[in-house]
Amino acid sequence: MDMPGLKIDHERCTECRMCYVVCREININAVVVSSTARHFLEIDERCIYPKCTVCLMYCPAEGSIVETVSGKSMVPPPAEVWTENRRWPRIP
Amino acid sequence: MNVVATAAREGKLTGDQCFRLLARLWTLKRMMYYVYGGWAQGINLNEYPPTVAYLFGRQTYDESTHEMQFCDEILKRRWARTQRQLFDHPYGRFGTATRTGAYVFCLRALANYPHNIRIAALNLGPKVIELVWTESFANSLRDEGLRALFSSQQPETLSHVLMGKLQAERFLQKSIDIELARRLSAETRRDYLFFLEETARFVLGLEEEKGEVTVSADID
Repeated sequence: MDMPGLKIDHERCTECRMCYVVCREININAVVVSSTARHFLEIDERCIYPKCTVCLMYCPAEGSIVETVSGKSMVPPPAEVWTENRRWPRIP
Repeated sequence: MNVVATAAREGKLTGDQCFRLLARLWTLKRMMYYVYGGWAQGINLNEYPPTVAYLFGRQTYDESTHEMQFCDEILKRRWARTQRQLFDHPYGRFGTATRTGAYVFCLRALANYPHNIRIAALNLGPKVIELVWTESFANSLRDEGLRALFSSQQPETLSHVLMGKLQAERFLQKSIDIELARRLSAETRRDYLFFLEETARFVLGLEEEKGEVTVSADID
């Protein structure tokens, strides 16, 4: 399995669950509740970033979603990911 | 549920049976939004200390977490492709004329009672049973993912039981309230056991009991 392109920084995440809701809404289902005692939200290998950036659009907590490889903060979303066609990807 | 736990311990639980189990539990957990929604409307401002409202909000959040976990697990294992499919699937569909429905409507009806009484009825009744069987499942299941899922739910369920205890001790003062809470707790416990029995039969593919079933709730 490929490593997901995004991950959640639990130091900054407020666990509002907006990322979970929108990811479920468009049937990618890459944001999951972990089966650990704290029930952190995690992003798994179903994430298709950078084709989809919907969670970044809805996340209210600055810096709480970062690029896995570069560690770059993606909230608020930088200009290069802020495009309409990437906001709501067409899922087969 | 003991029979299901035994089947799990012996490794006899098939993938389809696990799907049935998770889907039925998911159905109940998602119906808790409907129950708690009704309850929340009955909490008046300043009727209780803010901690009571906070703890109730926390409990709603916890049930939501459990609901998400069940759904996540089903989708991850591709037993259903999307949440929408799961809503329509026979395993995850909510039926009104079922014991799940009876239990949910029984809980919803508790909206007519003061918050301390209904929270004592739920958290000192069905929640105690839930704590026991989820612990048993966490120890029985051979599947690592499912074991982690059930054991991760333990702290929240335990906290709900403790919250019921706190509320009963602090806010149930009059003898009539205490008696009422006791009766409601027995009734909800009975309905929860009905739900569990239906779920166990559904998981194992056993025939459902026909006709009217009456079971004493130990209240008279």
